[in-house]
Formats: sequence, structure tokens, C-alpha cells
Amino acid sequence: MSSLFDDYQPGRFFDEMFDAPAHAREHYSGITGSIGSLTPGEYAARQRTADAVFLRQGVTFTVYGDQQGTERIFPFDLMPRIIPRKEWERVEAGLIQRITALNLFLNDVYHSQHILNDKTLPAELVLSASHYRPEFKGVKVPHGIYIHICGTDLVRDDKGEYFVLEDNGRCPSGASYMLENRNAMKRTFPGLLQSLPVRPVDAYGSMLRETLAHLAPPGVIDPNIVVLTPGVYNSAYFEHCYLAKQMGVPIVEGRDLLLKNGRVFMRTTTGLQQVHVIYRRIDDDFLDPLVFRKDSLLGVPGIVSAYQQGHVALANSIGTGVADDKAVYALVPKMIQYYLDQEPILPNVPTYLGIEPKECDHILANLDKLVVKAVNESGGYGMLMGPHSTKEEQVEFAKRITANPRNYIAQPVLQLSRHPVFVDDHFEGRHIDLRPYVLYGDRVRVVPGGLTRVALKKGSLVVNSSQGGGSKDTWVLWEDE
Amino acid sequence: MLSRVADSIYWMARYMERAENLARLLLSTQDLLLDAGAEAADESQFWAPILMTTGDEEAYHTAHATIDGDSAAHFLALSLKNGNSILNCVRSARENARTIRDQLSDELWECINSLRLFLESPEASEMHQSQTAAFYEKVLLASYQFQGIAASTTPRDESWHFLRLGLCIERADKTSRLIDTCSAISLEMPPSPLARPLRWAALLRSCSAWHAFQAYSSNKLDPVKIIEYLLLDPTFPRSVAWCVEQLNSTLVELCGNGRLDDMKTPVRVSGRLLADITYLTMKEVLKEGLHEYIDRLQEKLNDVGQTIFETFVLYADILTPEQEASTTAPAIIPGAFHTILSSDIQMQQQQ
Repeated sequence: MSSLFDDYQPGRFFDEMFDAPAHAREHYSGITGSIGSLTPGEYAARQRTADAVFLRQGVTFTVYGDQQGTERIFPFDLMPRIIPRKEWERVEAGLIQRITALNLFLNDVYHSQHILNDKTLPAELVLSASHYRPEFKGVKVPHGIYIHICGTDLVRDDKGEYFVLEDNGRCPSGASYMLENRNAMKRTFPGLLQSLPVRPVDAYGSMLRETLAHLAPPGVIDPNIVVLTPGVYNSAYFEHCYLAKQMGVPIVEGRDLLLKNGRVFMRTTTGLQQVHVIYRRIDDDFLDPLVFRKDSLLGVPGIVSAYQQGHVALANSIGTGVADDKAVYALVPKMIQYYLDQEPILPNVPTYLGIEPKECDHILANLDKLVVKAVNESGGYGMLMGPHSTKEEQVEFAKRITANPRNYIAQPVLQLSRHPVFVDDHFEGRHIDLRPYVLYGDRVRVVPGGLTRVALKKGSLVVNSSQGGGSKDTWVLWEDE
Repeated sequence: MLSRVADSIYWMARYMERAENLARLLLSTQDLLLDAGAEAADESQFWAPILMTTGDEEAYHTAHATIDGDSAAHFLALSLKNGNSILNCVRSARENARTIRDQLSDELWECINSLRLFLESPEASEMHQSQTAAFYEKVLLASYQFQGIAASTTPRDESWHFLRLGLCIERADKTSRLIDTCSAISLEMPPSPLARPLRWAALLRSCSAWHAFQAYSSNKLDPVKIIEYLLLDPTFPRSVAWCVEQLNSTLVELCGNGRLDDMKTPVRVSGRLLADITYLTMKEVLKEGLHEYIDRLQEKLNDVGQTIFETFVLYADILTPEQEASTTAPAIIPGAFHTILSSDIQMQQQQ
């Protein structure tokens, strides 16, 4: 019998689904038959159904600088990515190890700074991170936890080895797409999900709520939790709303909150109501015009001082950006060894630091081969993909790197793993990554799977939604096949 | 409930109701034109009053030199330049809904969002040209669907009450405006005796009151009876009196009745209006002058709206005039989405 996958070419990359043409890996065998037996038309019809549902539900994000209809659906590819149990268990252990070390590092950096004082890490590099907040040195935060919600980006190389690409420890986004993708799969391929032992992800909302409730000031039994959003024009507004709804807590804007007697209150129809825990989706810079950017209208004047006094908790804490600075990232394996006395379970991608003169020379000499990243940008902004760049772009980046070497790092171009993606009427391989969500409350919990992002443009290695990326549902299996 | 949320629910309901009323008015006008035969040759005399009712005459004349049926209908239904077009009302309802979608049932949100997607689509323009009546009916159906979903999925807490307040105020306002315009043109510019009854029938239709009125009155097209029905009947759910009664009872549910000296202002203001309209006779209305009475009525409806805003949206600020921080967030103004901070400053790179 012919199959939709007959002509699929895994190519010279690590393909998640096929280890050879027409030969699916063991853990995909449960779906290869049923999806392969569809005609291109039948498959496309299901894809259209899923797209229509996303649009009607307004599962959208906003592309900045795009005047035409600013809301778009995040392209969703129906073909699920499957991770077998053993593989996931190793990834999960690696993520738990990593968030534990990052939190120990933050607690240290904002208190005694042992790791800097004994020269395990270069103080100059760490303290020059632009998201380091000296104002927070010595401030106690609830339970000493700084990063409560982490969205670590993982990639696999051409051998299928997992690497940590970056730690997103400020306001990682995308969890709502992970949840909605699963819902879309339930509606379009109900039978498939029934026939495989797939671990559910829908507990994320209640896990997030528990994580946040754990931060409440002492003595508060039933804390008022809110999600703080910049507003409807923020690209992730859908997600802010979605998560608030999943948790059953209000979503607020800065103008809904005010300070009174050092405590934070929200304006309600029956007067002021105290707020105990804020899941803030506003960057540090905009949080409080009295402390950070004076021109910010998004934040709440005085909120930082309420946090410092322990009257309100923030998740994530302020100043976590020092840990996910792309230059500090290179030091995380050393943190794991230092604080936990363990070897990293998930390795880093080799990284050259602009601040190290020798490495900087190497970067400048190999701009056409490396990926160069500005240390504080995210969402695929401020990046040079060496092999795909023009001479002009390389010259421009060389100027920027020479002017501010601390601000840049470079990594070899990884041949990211690929996955079949439906294009027009057939499957083609596209590069993917994986963003699992790690929650650190009374204990560390990892949602099985996460958001698989896909670089939908042929040959592209950039998966960010703002740069033409899409996503897939990610299935972690209870049992290996 | 957050004050901003209450304000957005209220405006979402108002804009949906506004879109529905406009769709029905346009549908009944189209029927009227078909019935009017030769008299319909001068289309402007039919469309001018409608532009007057919706308060969009000025906006229309900046875009068009003359009033013709096609331009007017398009202006009122789908024009982006007309802030009160059906399209823009639905967009406004949807923008308000978007800021509070965590508070709405998924079904309610999808209903509004689907209507917006339809109105923005090329099919909508095409349908409005080729099957105009079907277009308006589709909008009406979507609005009925909105009401039905709202009624069957909204908890009977503050969410429901603010929905009702928005709907009732908007409906009372629109019904009273329709009565005002229809009676003004019928009295002032009678083109021929033939068109007059048609206009009154159209008025009933634009309030969905044709059938109900037939059962109510034996004198089929007596203008005074029609006005009485639409203005003072306590049982018909689009009459002004019914809306005022609903307004008052919703406000009582929201903040209790209590003694006069600690009664909340909206309860008192709406209660007085209710007492007035309950014991009013048509004789008194006509003695004062219909137009004068409706003017006064609309002022009072505005007062109710204003006190609702002050009581539930500005409440916290009125109670805490002394702010600790030196800078305060910008004041909240009714119709939340209009005042949303400029989009640029909300943008941040996403991790």
C-alpha cells in the first residue's frame, strides 16, 4: 500500500521520524501507518480544520513592525513530534539539574558572590551583564527562588545529541501554544491520541498556579494571584490571557494596580483588593518607573519596593536576566559543577565569547561560518546566521562586535534535527527545536514535552515565531514502544 | 471584579447591541424602500433620517457629496471611516472582548470573533452588495447568538450584570432615537399620505415590534399607540420602559437597595427614572412635546451611564485620593479600548 511518506527524504540530517528513507523509528511506528494512509487531500483538509479553529479562537500573536493585520495565527503543523520515554527522562533530569544550578547561582550572585570571589567565574563578565540588578543585592526573595518559570531551548545535532541552546529565565513565552496544539490534535486526530500512550500536558495551568501560590507572603492561606500583562498590543497577549484563564486568576494591566501602605492592590468594582503574587509578563525595565525606566507607563510605581519588603511576590524575580545572558550561558556547566558537584547532563553548545580577546578574534575571522548573537536579545532579533549572511551584514556585525565585544557571542552552526512537515501536498523535512517548560515551586516540575518549534522556511534554522517559525504538538510517551 | 474589566464588559455589550440595532434599522429601511415604490425615487429622504438617528450625518458628508442609497448603506454597514458602522461596532465589541477574554466563555468569545472575521472578509462586502437582506440577517443572527450564549454561559455575577447594563442602556437609547426620528419626519415632511403608514410600520420593524404590536393594539397604525408601545410598554423587551426597569433591577442586584441615605447613586438615579416612566401617560408626553420629552429622557439615560461609571470604575480612585507614589497610571475613561496606551510601548521582545 502506498503511503504519504513514500517519497519522504530524511536527507543528511538527523531526522526525528525516519532513520532511513521509508523506515520510521520505533517510537513513530504507532502513527506512521494511520497518517501515511491518508491521501494528501484528506490530510490537507484536517490541517485546514485545525487552522480555522485557531483563527476563530483567536490563538494569535502579533508581529511587530507589520502594519498589515497585526494578529496572525502561529502556524501549526499537525504532524506530531514524538519523544520516547527513556530519552525524555534524561532530558527531564538535565532540565531539573540546570534550573537548580541557575537558582543557586542567582541566589549567590545577589548575596555573598562566592562563585565570583573564589574566581570560579569571572566577576567582570557576570556583573557586566546588562540584566544584572545591583539594586537587588542582599534582597531576600521568597524561598530563595529566582526563576520559577523557565523555558529552556533544546536542539539536537546531526547525531541526535541534545544540547541546551539557551536558558530563557526572564519571561519565557509559548506555553499556551503547547496547550492549544494538544487541543487541536485532539480535535483533528482523536484516534491517534487514543492509540498511543501519550502523556497529557493539560495540568500546566494548575501546576503553574501551585508554583505561584507557593510564593505567597507568609501567613497568606489563599493568596490573590494575578497575571500582569503589558496589554492587548503585546505580541504575547493571547498567551497572558490564556494562562490567566487556565489558572482562574485575573489578568491585570499596570493601571489596574496601585500601591497603598507598601502593599499592592487592584482596583475593583467594590474597591481595592490586595494582590499577593504577580506572574508578571512585563520585562524588568518596565516594571516600576520609580526604579527602572522612568518613562514606563506599563508598570506600577512602587511595586519593586513592595517586593523588596516581602508584601508581594513576583515571578520570575527581578534580575534573573543575569543568568540567561548569552555570555553567562557559556558558564552554566561550571555552575553545575560548582554548586551541585555534578557533570551537566545536557551539554551546552560550544560558545565563543566576544569579551575573551582570543575568542573574539576567532569570531571575527569566521563570521561567515558562525552564528553570532547579541547577548540580550531574544525572539531571533540581533542575530547573524553566518553561512546565510551577506558580506555587508558581516561587515556590519564586525563593527558592532569590535565596538562592544561583551555584547556578542558566537556558536558553530548546528545542523539541527529535522522533522517531516506537511508542505502543499507532501511531507518535507524542516529543522526543529524543543522548548520544555520547567516550573520551580515547592519542587521542580517539568511538563512532559513542551513546544516544538519549526523553521517553516526550507533550509532555515530560525524557529522563532517572529521570524516565520511554526510549531508542532510534542508527544512524550509513557512507555517506549 | 476589576473595574477595567467591568467597563470592558459593559462596552462590549453596548457595541454588540449597537451593531444589532443598526442592522435591523438598515433591513427595515430596505423593506420600506421596496414598499414605497415610486416615492423611493428620492432615496435621500429615506436615508437622511437614518444618518440622523445614528448621529453620523457629519461623518457621512465629509466622505460623500450626496446621499444615495448604495453609499449610505455601505457607509452604515461596512465603512471603516464611519466609527459607528456595523463593522466598526463589531470591531470595538471584539477589541473590548479581547482585553477581557479570560473572563468570557470560549463560546462567547468565538461568537464575537467569528462575526468580526466575517465582516472583515471579502465575502461580507460581496454579500452586502448582492444579497443585502441576507447580510443584515446574518448580523442579526450572530447578535441573537451572542445574547443566547451570554445568557446560557455567563455566571449570574457581576459579569452578567455589567452585560445587562450595557445592553439595556444602549437599547433604550436606540429605541428612543428611532421614535424621535420617525415621528419628526412623519410630521415635518409628509411626501404623501401613502408613505406615512409605511414609515410607522418600518419603525415597528426596526424595533422587532411588528408582531408584538399587532397583538397589542387593534388600531393597527395609530402613531400615538405605536409610540406609546415602544416608549411606555412594560412588557415588550425593546421598549424604553422595559429597558429602564431592567437597568434599575440589575443595579439593585449589583449594589442592593438599602435606605435612601446610603443608597448607591446609580440605584437612586435609575429608580427615579423608572418611577417617572412607569407613571407617565402619552397625554403628558404629547403635552410636553415628544421631541422635548425624548431629549430629557436621553439626558437621564446618560446620567445613569455616568453614575455607573463613577460608581464601579472610578470607585477605587474616589476612595483613595491620596496616592503614595508620585506618578499614577493614566485615568481610565469609559470605553476602555479607546484609551489603551499606544501600542508601541506595550511591545517587548518575547523570550
